[in-house]
Amino acid sequence: MTVINVTLPFGLIKKVDDYSKIINVILEQNISVNILKFSTGRSGINLLLDIPEEKISSITEALKKNDVIVNKKGRVIVDIEKCIDCGACVSLCPTDALHMDEKELLEYSLEKCIGCLLCIDSCPRFAIEET
Amino acid sequence: MEKITRSNKYKGDYLTKTYAEINEKIKNGNVVVLTAEEMVDFVGEHGLKVAAEEIDVVTTGTFGPMCSSGAFLNFGHSDPPIKFEHLWLNDVHAYHGNAAVDCYIGCTRMADVKPFEYGGGHVIEDLVSGKPIRLKGNSYTTDCYPLAEVDTEFTIEDINQAILCNPRNAYQRYVCAVNSSEKTLYTYMGKLLPNYGNAHYAGAGSLSPLSNDPDYETIGIGTKIFLGGGIGYVIGEGTQHSPSSRFGTLFVKGDLKQMTPEYLRGVTYEKYGTSMFVGIGIPIPILNEDLAKKTAISDGDLFTDVVDYGVPRRDRPKLKQVSYKELKSGFVDLNGNKVKCSSLSSLFHARKIADTLKNWILNGDFLLNSPAETLPTNTVFKPMKLTAELKFVKDLKKAAEICYEDCDIKVVAEKIVRKNINHIVITDRENHLKGIVTSFDITRAIAEDKHELNDIITKRVFTTSDNEPISNAARKMKTNNISALPVIDDDRRVVGLISAEELM
Repeated sequence: MTVINVTLPFGLIKKVDDYSKIINVILEQNISVNILKFSTGRSGINLLLDIPEEKISSITEALKKNDVIVNKKGRVIVDIEKCIDCGACVSLCPTDALHMDEKELLEYSLEKCIGCLLCIDSCPRFAIEET
Repeated sequence: MEKITRSNKYKGDYLTKTYAEINEKIKNGNVVVLTAEEMVDFVGEHGLKVAAEEIDVVTTGTFGPMCSSGAFLNFGHSDPPIKFEHLWLNDVHAYHGNAAVDCYIGCTRMADVKPFEYGGGHVIEDLVSGKPIRLKGNSYTTDCYPLAEVDTEFTIEDINQAILCNPRNAYQRYVCAVNSSEKTLYTYMGKLLPNYGNAHYAGAGSLSPLSNDPDYETIGIGTKIFLGGGIGYVIGEGTQHSPSSRFGTLFVKGDLKQMTPEYLRGVTYEKYGTSMFVGIGIPIPILNEDLAKKTAISDGDLFTDVVDYGVPRRDRPKLKQVSYKELKSGFVDLNGNKVKCSSLSSLFHARKIADTLKNWILNGDFLLNSPAETLPTNTVFKPMKLTAELKFVKDLKKAAEICYEDCDIKVVAEKIVRKNINHIVITDRENHLKGIVTSFDITRAIAEDKHELNDIITKRVFTTSDNEPISNAARKMKTNNISALPVIDDDRRVVGLISAEELM
């Protein structure tokens, strides 16, 4: 299984039917989906979906046709100019996307980030931002 | 080790070196310096005797948040002159209780305009970075200081003295913090997830300066150190210095004008406030075998306590002892659970400080000195004396008015009117807490045409217990914007109610 970050931009959902349409796009893939997170953000409604690895491209394609934004990558950026490599964010990251490298410098692995955003307000330097 | 001179003297069987001998070697370029981490490996490989003989200096380093930090600044006199009554640096209130144009800017003081974003630590970082700082100040005016207001800008070059002066730095070790409570806590130990979700520690372990000289044989008043990227001095024991419990601290000072922002960083801990990361490195001369042994201490030999910050009291529960080796592994074992653990202080920068100091000494730029006076090794850290007796919830609570969960809404409403109260606690027949209903909930029920008690009960209720201090209960009400807390026992049975009225 792998995690994708799905955003329904503002304006896309106007009535309940619009939801059903998008949910059907996913159901048509005939897979089991775990919704890890459902939240509203600055850009719209965010869903974090856990889906089978091999289905990424077909789901992404189907969703994009319906104007849904799909992002496999992580959802934060770390400003290394501001970061002082303290490690205050590391214990909060459930997937080790934020971790110390062998030199004890902070390293961020985009592909591991599931977008939980627990790290954002743990940074004493405001170096982690939501993308 | 390219070149080793065996000029060291023995007293009988016991090797001793003097500061003068070590300084001579520094000047001659044949001094042998290791960082505290390298010393662990060297002693492991060659033994103490050889280490004491061959190694002259061990360098240490630490870079972490040190809240008891700040700087004295002197601006020079304006024309006409002013005697500040209040002054602000980039909107951060600086302390003024000295002569006319002296002040102390403390790192945890937050800006009036953007608190929790910018504070005294950031002012110091900006100052050291050479950025212009806005100075605003006012005065009640005197015959000798007639000017009432100043609004100007300055850089570190423009002012007379800028002296970093930190009353408590370089904690020998610090606790490892976890949170047993059910909500996320924002503390000076960082963000602590509920139910032991993570752990934070601070300190550089085997690189930590005071862990390498725990008996204060070489670190004392006047010891020259690496401070904030420049030269500083130990000027005494730090406040709360508690060497017997291995929580020693240092009072340090140094000239800010020769420091660098890389080792003085303003920081903000969410919902806690601002602070400053300070970089400190101390050289330990290996005067004898005993000091070789002490500087060879490894992370596995240094222990600290895992402390539960979920209990908001001075004496928080200690859950277990943990070594810095375990802490640095990234996980702490708590009752068989692996709790993810990370540092709040930077090991990378601690190493860099120890390396930098090592290079200064190797290059002959940094000589060692014996302290003018040693630091006390027997002081204790006393708690605050409170003259007012601490009040607990049990002292102020009143009996809770209770209705059962299957009761009619009208009965609840009647009780509110009859007893002239605002809160009814809802329980089951065994007195277990099920929820709370307020007079406002009843009003809302009428407005929204609801008839079932179940539809209007608040079921997720904030609670307190008999032995919680009143101030903690009051903060719970304030931060959650509620006006009463049911008092419950360990089995969630209702034993009373405390409301905002009792706290007035």
